[in-house]
Amino acid sequence: MDSNTRDDLLDLFRSKFNRAMKYYLETCTRCGVCTEACHVYASTGQTKYIAAYRHEIIRRLYKKYFKARGKIWPSVGEAKILDDVAIEELYDAAYSCTGCRRCMLYCPFGIDTQMLMSIAKLILIGASAEPEILTMLADTSVEKGKSLDLFKDGFMMGVKRLEAQIVEKWQVEAGQTAIPVDVEGADLLYVALAGAHSIIPAAAVFNAAGENWTLSFFEAVNFGAFVGDPTKTKLILDRIINEATRLNVKEVCVCECGTAFRVMKQLSGKQPFKVSSITDVHARYIREGRIKLDKSKFTQTVTYHDPCQIARNGGVIDEARYILQHLTDHYTEMSPDPRYNWCCGGGGGLVALGDETLDFRMKSSRVKVDQVQATGAKILTTACENCHTQLDNLNEHYKMGLEVRFLSSMVAEALVNGKHPGA
Amino acid sequence: MQSVYYFIMVPMVYIAFAVFFVGISVKIVKILREPKQPMTLQIFPEKQPKWLWALHDTLLFPTIRRHKPVLWVFIMAFHICLLLLLIGHLELMADFAVFQIIPHEIFIGNGFVGLTLVVCLLYLIFRRFQSPVKDLSVPEDYYLLILLFLIVLFGSEMDWARRWYGYEELAVEDYNAYLLSLLAFKPELPYNTTFSGHSFMLVLHIFFANLLLIFFPFTQLMHSILALPMNKLRRG
Repeated sequence: MDSNTRDDLLDLFRSKFNRAMKYYLETCTRCGVCTEACHVYASTGQTKYIAAYRHEIIRRLYKKYFKARGKIWPSVGEAKILDDVAIEELYDAAYSCTGCRRCMLYCPFGIDTQMLMSIAKLILIGASAEPEILTMLADTSVEKGKSLDLFKDGFMMGVKRLEAQIVEKWQVEAGQTAIPVDVEGADLLYVALAGAHSIIPAAAVFNAAGENWTLSFFEAVNFGAFVGDPTKTKLILDRIINEATRLNVKEVCVCECGTAFRVMKQLSGKQPFKVSSITDVHARYIREGRIKLDKSKFTQTVTYHDPCQIARNGGVIDEARYILQHLTDHYTEMSPDPRYNWCCGGGGGLVALGDETLDFRMKSSRVKVDQVQATGAKILTTACENCHTQLDNLNEHYKMGLEVRFLSSMVAEALVNGKHPGA
Repeated sequence: MQSVYYFIMVPMVYIAFAVFFVGISVKIVKILREPKQPMTLQIFPEKQPKWLWALHDTLLFPTIRRHKPVLWVFIMAFHICLLLLLIGHLELMADFAVFQIIPHEIFIGNGFVGLTLVVCLLYLIFRRFQSPVKDLSVPEDYYLLILLFLIVLFGSEMDWARRWYGYEELAVEDYNAYLLSLLAFKPELPYNTTFSGHSFMLVLHIFFANLLLIFFPFTQLMHSILALPMNKLRRG
C-alpha cells in the first residue's frame, strides 16, 4: 500500500470521529466481560470474534496514527500499521459482525461495536475491498431515487398484478384501491421491500383497518448502511423522506426490515412525520379495535425472534408481544429477557451477500438454533426480512422442522374483518 | 542518592501532576471539540430517569455483576479500596470531619484496605495471563496493573509497618509536613522521609505513583472519566 492510499484511508478514518467514537476508541480496558456476548464467538469459540478483539483491530490503527504514543512507544498498545494485511483483518472483523449490539449489554462502558466497525467498513470502501455487490445494490437504490420516472410504469404494472392477488383473498371496499400509490395527503406512507410478501399482507391489513395509506415507490432496505457508506445511506434515506414530504403524510411506516427501520427512525433526524415499524402499526390497530384477529388460525406453539435493529436497537419490543397475544394462545418467549436475544446471524449485510456468506452464517449461529429449539415451538415468527431469510436458512441447514413466518403475514392471515368468508 | 530522592519526591511530583491535569484537560477538550453523535446509541427498553441509570451503570458495574460475578467482587472491592486510599491521602494533608463519620486513625481500615487492594490486583494481573483475556490484552494493560501493584505494595508496607509492627519512625506528621510543603510550593523533605529505614519505600511509592499519573491521560485509565458519558450514551 503506498503512502497516498494510506493517507486517503486515514482521512476516511478521521471522518468517522465524533464524541462517541472518541470515547469508544479511548476507553476499552480489555476486561473480557464481553467475551460471551457475540453469537459468532459463542458458536465458534474463536477469539477474533470477541467484541473487544474486534475493537482492538480498529484501535490499534487509531493508536498508530492518531495518538502520539503510536510514534513514541507503539508496542505499549500494540499499535499497528495500516497495510494490506490490516485491510484483510478489517474485512474479517467488519463482515463477521452483524451489528446486533448485544455486546453493549456486557461492556461495563457500553462500547458500541457496530460504531467501531463502521470505521472498518468505510476504510474497506476506500480501499475498494468492500463486498462489491453491496455497493452495486446501494448504487442501484440511489439511481432509482434520481430517475423515478424511468421505472414508474414498470412499478405500477407490478402493483396492478399484486392488487389482483389481494382482491382474490381479501375484501376491498367499493371504490377503494387495493394498493394506493402516490396519494397526496395520505395519512401513512408504507415503505415496503421489493417482493409480494412485503406488500400483499401489509396492504390487506391497512385496508381492513380502513387506513388512508399509500405505497412508497422505493424499497425500504438501505444497502448504503450495510456497506457502511454514510453518503449513500443518506441518499437512499432521502428518497423516502422526500417522497413523504412531497405527499405530506403524517406517518412513515417501515416494513419488516430492521436496518431500514433503525436508519429511518434514528438516523433521519427530526422530520415532520412520525416513523413507525409495521409492528407498531399493527399493534395500534388491534388496540384501537380497527382489526380483529382469529386466534384459532395458529394452534401450534409460536415463538418470536426479536430482530436486533427493531427490538434492542429500535425499541419495538412489547408491541410484537401484544400482537402475538391477540394472534395465538400458544405463544412462548424465546429469551427470558428480550434484550439478550441472540442475533439471527444474518445482519450487517451478511444475508444480502447470499451464498457467499452462507457457510459462515450457518456456523456462526449455532447458539441461535439452540435458543429456538429450546422453546419447542413449531412456528418461528419474526419482523425482519434479513432475520427471516437467515432463520429460513438455519431451519433448512439444521433440519429444525419449523415454519418460519413473517409476523405481518400471520396478522393478515388471521384477519377477521376484511377477509372473504371462507378464505 | 539524596539528589535522586529529591528529584523523585519534589520536581517529579510536580511534573507528574502537571502532566496529569494538563493531559486530561487537553484530552477532554479534544473530545468535546468533536461533533456530537448525531443519532441515538441507546439500548432498549429504556428506564427513566436515564441519567440516574447511567450513574448506576457507572458506579455499580451491573453488567459485570451479571456476566462475571467473581470478577465483579474483585473489581468492586478494588475500586472501593482505591477510593478509601485516596481519602486516606487527603487525610494525610488535613483533617476532614466528613471522613471521620466513622472514627478512624489514618489510614482507614487499619492496613486491611491496602491488603485487599493487593489481593485484588494480583487477581486482576493473573486473570490476564489466562485466555481469552490474555488474547485481548495489550502490554499497556499489564504495565498499568504492575505499576498499580508496586504503588499499592510499597504504600501499604509503610502503613502496615506503622499499624501492625509499631514502626513509628516515619509518622503521619512527617507525611503531613512533606505534603503540605508541596502543596504550598515551598517543598521541604522532613528528615525521616529520606533518612529513616523505610524511606526507600516512600521514595519508590512516590516514584511509581508519579509514573502512573504521567501515563494516566494517555492510557485506558481514562475510563475513570469517560465511563459516565459512555454509559449515558447507552441509556439514551
